[in-house]
Amino acid sequence: MAVDETQRTYDHPLYQHVERMPGLSVALGNIDQLLTWGSANSLWIFPMATSCCGIEFMAAAASAVDLDRMGSIPRGTPRQCDVMVVAGTITVKMAPRVKKLWEQMPEPKWCVAMGSCAISGDFYRDIYSVIPGIDTFIPVDVYVPGCPPNPEALMHGLLRLQEKIRMLREGKLTREELRPESPPNLNRPAIGRLHDPERDPLTSEEQTDSAAGLGFGDNLNLARIRRPRPTAEPRPQPGAEPQPAADSDEESAP
Amino acid sequence: MHSVTGVDPHLDIESYDPSADLMVLNLGPQHPSTHGVFRVKLYLDGEIIIKAVPYAGYLHRGVEKLCEELTFVQVIPIVDKNDYVSPMMNEQAIAMACEAMLGIEVPPRALYLRTIFAELQRLASHLLWLGTFGMDLGGALGGGASLFMYCFRERETVLGLFEEVTGCRFHYNTHAVGGNRHDITPRFTQDTKATLEVIEKRIDEYVEIFSSNGIYRDRTWGIGVLDGELASSLGITGPLARASGVDHDLRRDAPYHIYGELEVNVFTESAGDCFARTLVRLNEMRESIRIVREIIDSVPEGPILGMKPGKSPGHIKIDAGQGYSCLESPRGELGTYVIGGGNSRGASAYRLKIRSPSLHAASCIPYLFPGHTVSDAVAILGTLDPIMGEVDR
Repeated sequence: MAVDETQRTYDHPLYQHVERMPGLSVALGNIDQLLTWGSANSLWIFPMATSCCGIEFMAAAASAVDLDRMGSIPRGTPRQCDVMVVAGTITVKMAPRVKKLWEQMPEPKWCVAMGSCAISGDFYRDIYSVIPGIDTFIPVDVYVPGCPPNPEALMHGLLRLQEKIRMLREGKLTREELRPESPPNLNRPAIGRLHDPERDPLTSEEQTDSAAGLGFGDNLNLARIRRPRPTAEPRPQPGAEPQPAADSDEESAP
Repeated sequence: MHSVTGVDPHLDIESYDPSADLMVLNLGPQHPSTHGVFRVKLYLDGEIIIKAVPYAGYLHRGVEKLCEELTFVQVIPIVDKNDYVSPMMNEQAIAMACEAMLGIEVPPRALYLRTIFAELQRLASHLLWLGTFGMDLGGALGGGASLFMYCFRERETVLGLFEEVTGCRFHYNTHAVGGNRHDITPRFTQDTKATLEVIEKRIDEYVEIFSSNGIYRDRTWGIGVLDGELASSLGITGPLARASGVDHDLRRDAPYHIYGELEVNVFTESAGDCFARTLVRLNEMRESIRIVREIIDSVPEGPILGMKPGKSPGHIKIDAGQGYSCLESPRGELGTYVIGGGNSRGASAYRLKIRSPSLHAASCIPYLFPGHTVSDAVAILGTLDPIMGEVDR
């Protein structure tokens, strides 16, 4: 049940089903284009709105910047949705619920981190109760920077997500999504981010299990989301070379 | 009709009638009508709530602890995020507390600006409340969305005014200890007048929308009756208390800014139900418009910062002493209690306590929910209007 972004499939099961039927694939030669068009233009949003960014999300869904016109309808349940927009600070108490709701969404699914709290924890990142960025436990596809981002910025993020979906389905995605890197003078999160090559692959599995209430008793284990797994032998320390500054702030630049 | 007297908020479920059809339902933490991340554990007998236990802390960001680390200049953009529907109120509360302790006199122009901003924030906050309350009652596809769309249309125009002055839609960071950072322009005055004219007409339309709607009346009339005495004993202030007959408004009773020179009309209702709370908030919106109109033309010329601007973030130092300062936010009494003498020779607070009205509003949930159905619980929670950033801090 490990959630690894590199292994996620973007092929719709319907597509595989249709392709196997003799004749139908010929009759519906452009079904791939149809599915791409459909999945990119009907992104139903599950607003995981916790704080200030939730208000801007509401403003984006309201009359001035109308998200409905690009097929993005906010829905209150994860089971009907394609995109989870995490808008606001995620705390240690809330993180298992977010993870659980993320697991309840049907594939294919995408995640948008809206606002600097969801991206990196912002100035709350060193507070004992705050998760320093949601990509320590769920994979993020698009980062929308800002505190809070304007409704137009959220719309731009969703347009980028549409573009990403199209390119992924057509196999043209040549480069990875640029990730916001923490400046070297800030504390790094105790658990590595999902795209971090030094991240322990077992961590993802444990996070999934703990959000589902498996393996750790009846209650959700809060500490497992935030703290690394205790290891018997000390893990090899990664080389302390700082990240190249060239591609560091392109995503988070205002 | 259900009344508050006779409700036991500490009902022991074990002693409840064993033959009853009991069920436990969690409202939240992820629920569109909880206005954030808030969880209420409902014990149901059939469809009737017999006990409600609220749980907070899903948005605990340790703001008060963070404020002890940062200097008084750095704290102001941080506290913006507490009550994120009316951020300027938080800034003003902190700035007022520091000014009172340091004895800084704020220039009159800054006081006028603060009053105008405060009333416009109240207007924007109540507009957002009205829109989301329509959503709570009607649902996104059940007709409530139309009120939501109308209210957000008006709210965008108010936010546009703030954007013109400060450059931000919210989280403005426009107040400083001793005054303001951003000055208004003649165009702001002009735009404000035009905007208020539009909104005043639209408020009458909204009143028409739901006062003529039988469903709206049925779902709010006599629902969630909050007793005035209970409200006082729980520390509830603001529109909630005023809808229960508590005639208390800090703008009139303990005037700050320039409210002492103005005549502030305080609207009270005696019913204490959801409908009364709606009426009080709508009247407050009209009153805010009236106040802004009254003072927008008489803003005096002069400086907007009452002290020499500092070059370092630690230039405001409070060595010792303590002070409390409060104002009337859209949700009630928002206070800040500061003990000076923290890090780096008093540049930060030793302790900073925020007295938030939303926490007190949320504390009446165990008294209001029992006896109602689950759909009424959503309506009651909507009119309480708790902001979770302020409850959990």
